[in-house]
Amino acid sequence: MKLELRKIKVTDLALGNEMKFENGLLTIDPQVIIDGLMEDVNVKSVKVDIAKPGDKTRIIPVKDVIEPRVKVEGSGNGFPGVTTKMEQLGSGVVNVLSGAAIVTIGDIVGFQEGVVDMWGEGAKWTPFSTTYNIVVDISVVDGLQPHDHETTVRIAGLRAAEIVGEVARNITSDEVEVYEMGSIFEETNKYPDLPKVLYVEMLISQGLLHDGYIYGVNSQKILPTLIHPNEELDGAVISGNCVAACDKITTYQHQNNSSIIDLYNRHGKDINFMGVILTPELTTLEGKFRTCDYTAKLCKSLGADGVIISEEGYGNPDSDLLMICKRLEDSGIKTVLITDECSGWDGMSQPLADTTKEAVAVVSAGNVSHVVNLPPAEKVLGNPEAIATLAGGWEGCINDDGSMKCELNAVIGSTSEIGYHNLTVKLY
Amino acid sequence: MNKDYLIITNNPIVRESFTNSVYLELTLEELLVKVRDMVHQGHELITHPLGASIRMMFSPYRSVLLSSYQKEFNEFHVSIAENSIEDYRKNTFNRKTDYQHKDDYAMIDIQLLNEAINEHERLKSIN
Repeated sequence: MKLELRKIKVTDLALGNEMKFENGLLTIDPQVIIDGLMEDVNVKSVKVDIAKPGDKTRIIPVKDVIEPRVKVEGSGNGFPGVTTKMEQLGSGVVNVLSGAAIVTIGDIVGFQEGVVDMWGEGAKWTPFSTTYNIVVDISVVDGLQPHDHETTVRIAGLRAAEIVGEVARNITSDEVEVYEMGSIFEETNKYPDLPKVLYVEMLISQGLLHDGYIYGVNSQKILPTLIHPNEELDGAVISGNCVAACDKITTYQHQNNSSIIDLYNRHGKDINFMGVILTPELTTLEGKFRTCDYTAKLCKSLGADGVIISEEGYGNPDSDLLMICKRLEDSGIKTVLITDECSGWDGMSQPLADTTKEAVAVVSAGNVSHVVNLPPAEKVLGNPEAIATLAGGWEGCINDDGSMKCELNAVIGSTSEIGYHNLTVKLY
Repeated sequence: MNKDYLIITNNPIVRESFTNSVYLELTLEELLVKVRDMVHQGHELITHPLGASIRMMFSPYRSVLLSSYQKEFNEFHVSIAENSIEDYRKNTFNRKTDYQHKDDYAMIDIQLLNEAINEHERLKSIN
């Protein structure tokens, strides 16, 4: 499979009367997005606004973030199985409005958090403070059931990304990234001496606001499955999760999965990257045993020497993470875990909900309990009442000057367990 | 037909919807302790006692599926039940339960419970 991502750099964003891209400036006609999204009978109203890096703007509650793109060669424009007819993803040429993002807001439940601050202290912690954001606020018709509400908002975000992505169709790109990999046998013949490495990406798969989708299939209903890394980079994996703001993997982060890209960069140099296994994080223990056994079996069947596992969420998925680790290490497969920590305000507590002695190589994506101070915003996109949900969690969290303290767990993408975020680990 | 599971819950709308629910007027922490005690008595955990995100720890409500039958003490299940209490305490000692959105938490809890029951029914093993 060969996928070309032609990156068109967006360096400014404006609202206007037409959709166009010129010299880095992306101009958005809100009515075009509104008209497109209002075709869904479940959508009552749509508001479109923009937020640029440095603006004193707060976006809350963020549901998803999606990168606007258009496929100009090859099959599978849009999000096959969800917004467009089923096509094989992973090959062809995609024009990407790099640096732009669709940010959807729309609270399905009152306790949703998920904040993006475009300036100041808050901006430091989220990768989406540096993107030029087209913020799409979606209200649904009265009486819609929660599942349908979530589906409507999720699909509206994807459609908005397609509508904006169309702007890039005839634009020449500044740089091209090529992702190409043959079959496991071909690559192993090319690099017989390199260690064979698989990437296991775990997805929350537990129900309303806790779901992930692969070609539109709810990952609750699958056995762990092998996909080509290009398929994920081409939009096969979609987020339906909107509770774990800090470590929810947004659709944008799937499209730009840092673990996949880093493994690709080392493919043929010091490792032989064999592919991605998507593994659901189920609710029942029997379900967890089945998926963990099955994941380990896939890794063993494919002859992996090493496996990188990334988690999504915190709490019961910790058990899956560690059970997969134990099974792989017991089989002689070296295993590295990527997770975040809930180690208290001082960072000193036990970081995960579960432990196993086999977890000897663990990369931390950050402490979700770390407290940050967010100043008042000049402009709020979304629901100002949701800001009260961010704070209010403990005595003294609202300061006299209107600023407030919140834990990183409320900040979108702040401790991304696939590594698409601003925090890093340093030895000292 | 008798169900092979019990729903241990402090969620009022679960009590109204399921005849086999064991409704307890407890805090979430007390509920986790109750679950742990029942696992010590030989009930098996069908679902993990914790949710999948920190935000769900601020919920006033949680419903956990346990086996209705009792078997021998299961060390793995006990360790999960024990660790869940410890983890819950660690993450909530300086946070207040979010009662302001209790109705939404109750709704999400019953939705996730329904998904868990469906998953359990699909997976049901022979005991």
